[in-house]
Amino acid sequence: MAEFFRALINAISILAIPFLLFIFLGWGIIKKVKVYSVFVEGAKEGFDTAVRIIPYLVAMLCAIGIFRASGAMELLTTVLAPVTNLIGMPPETLPMALMRPLSGSGSLGIMTELMKVHGPDSFIGILVSTMYGSSETTFYVLAVYFGSVQVKNTRHAVPAGLIADLFGMLGAVLICRIFFGI
Amino acid sequence: MLNYIWIGLIAIGILVAVGNDVNDEIRNTYRNGVPVEGTLVIDKSPGPMRKSWEGELVLTAEAFNAFYNVSTAKGEVRQPIVVTELSPGETVASLTLGAASPDRWKEMGKAAANRERLTGSVRSMVLGDDQKSARLQIIMEPIHYMKTKAVTQAALDYASTAVTIALGLIGIMALWLGVMKVADEAGLLKIVTRILTPITKRLFPEIPSDHPAVAAMIMNIAANMLGLSNAATPMGLKAMEELNKLNPKVGTATNAMVTFLAINTGGLILIPATAIAVRAAAGSANPGLIIGTSIFGAGCATVAGVVAAKILQRLPRYRKDFEPEAGKEVSRG
Repeated sequence: MAEFFRALINAISILAIPFLLFIFLGWGIIKKVKVYSVFVEGAKEGFDTAVRIIPYLVAMLCAIGIFRASGAMELLTTVLAPVTNLIGMPPETLPMALMRPLSGSGSLGIMTELMKVHGPDSFIGILVSTMYGSSETTFYVLAVYFGSVQVKNTRHAVPAGLIADLFGMLGAVLICRIFFGI
Repeated sequence: MLNYIWIGLIAIGILVAVGNDVNDEIRNTYRNGVPVEGTLVIDKSPGPMRKSWEGELVLTAEAFNAFYNVSTAKGEVRQPIVVTELSPGETVASLTLGAASPDRWKEMGKAAANRERLTGSVRSMVLGDDQKSARLQIIMEPIHYMKTKAVTQAALDYASTAVTIALGLIGIMALWLGVMKVADEAGLLKIVTRILTPITKRLFPEIPSDHPAVAAMIMNIAANMLGLSNAATPMGLKAMEELNKLNPKVGTATNAMVTFLAINTGGLILIPATAIAVRAAAGSANPGLIIGTSIFGAGCATVAGVVAAKILQRLPRYRKDFEPEAGKEVSRG
């Protein structure tokens, strides 16, 4: 059952883009839209949007880069270790929980490293890959999405995003403990 | 809030970096000026032209760990090395770092001018009787302010990474915005929107249910769930642009924007392809094992994010951004 589901989803994700292109453009032809000129007109906005993001992304990534390079993560891990022990989260996986909202490449590196050390099918390996799949890179998403519309006052977006991350991590620990627990 | 987090990351980063460097100086973590002792196992003896020995520097794990006061070296350290006598009394050693090198040396290599190489001056070299090995004492190139240098480097590197990422988006953005425009003109987006109105009306009560923003948000969420991040970002940015058209106060996030981003940061995805790929590469017996647990985790994140967004938007401090202000304009960063 799980195998079938996986194959199905895999097929969908491969077929989705050609299928979408075909349906969207095909529908346009049927509705007598001048597809080529309309497409070009829409595509024009791509450049502006991408360039508009740059200052926001530079600000965000530099701050994250400085934080990562300083070794503050190791310090934070030591400070928070007693809390994670309380909820049955192996301390090795704490850097993952902290890195996930900050950096996609950073958390990918942590996941790869932990799997190399502990093995992908160990509890730590399963938990860390679940954690990776349980959340998005919050600060990157915030910088890019708000940057594209020049929003500077983000109101409650950061707390809401961090609460989402926190619950994603707690959910990952809970479900892994139930199914693969030690 | 982003203000404080942003300055917090930078300030904590810089303070911790300087603190770490001061700590390294006091403890002499990198043993500047202290000779490390090991055995040189010679593979290639000096030729007539150049007085240099090639081989391996061998240290027992205990000796290495005791010297650097660490516990990371597990087995015997065997480090490729070239020792060259430049002039009588001046002999230098060059260690070529590789994957098998001890962590501490790799770390030190990052701070050196040439990232793959550690250099040092040889204090004494006593050749064995058989000319096959020698006792070596090397004083490594001194290392100072390692973390501060790393912080500087990171700030510069990430600034250009940001531009690379943004420029990389141009092509995909153009493609999907073009396609979306065609779908919009053909009335296709209206159909998609109508089907999901019952859900979107609850999530985004402020947005008229036939507004183009709704269609773009639906497309974005669908693309994210299928793991099509290339398509998801352009659609998400299109959605933000449409949401911004309904924004009475440009530059300030609306409730709908925050809810939409909370769904996005939850990262609900049906197949966590990256995690599965890494598991497969690490030799997992069942790489797909985490599909179910990931969906559960991301589901928790998404629900918590949306609920948090809905609750927080009622708080006075976030509500006042959109309340008509009596006379004076309050500007907040």
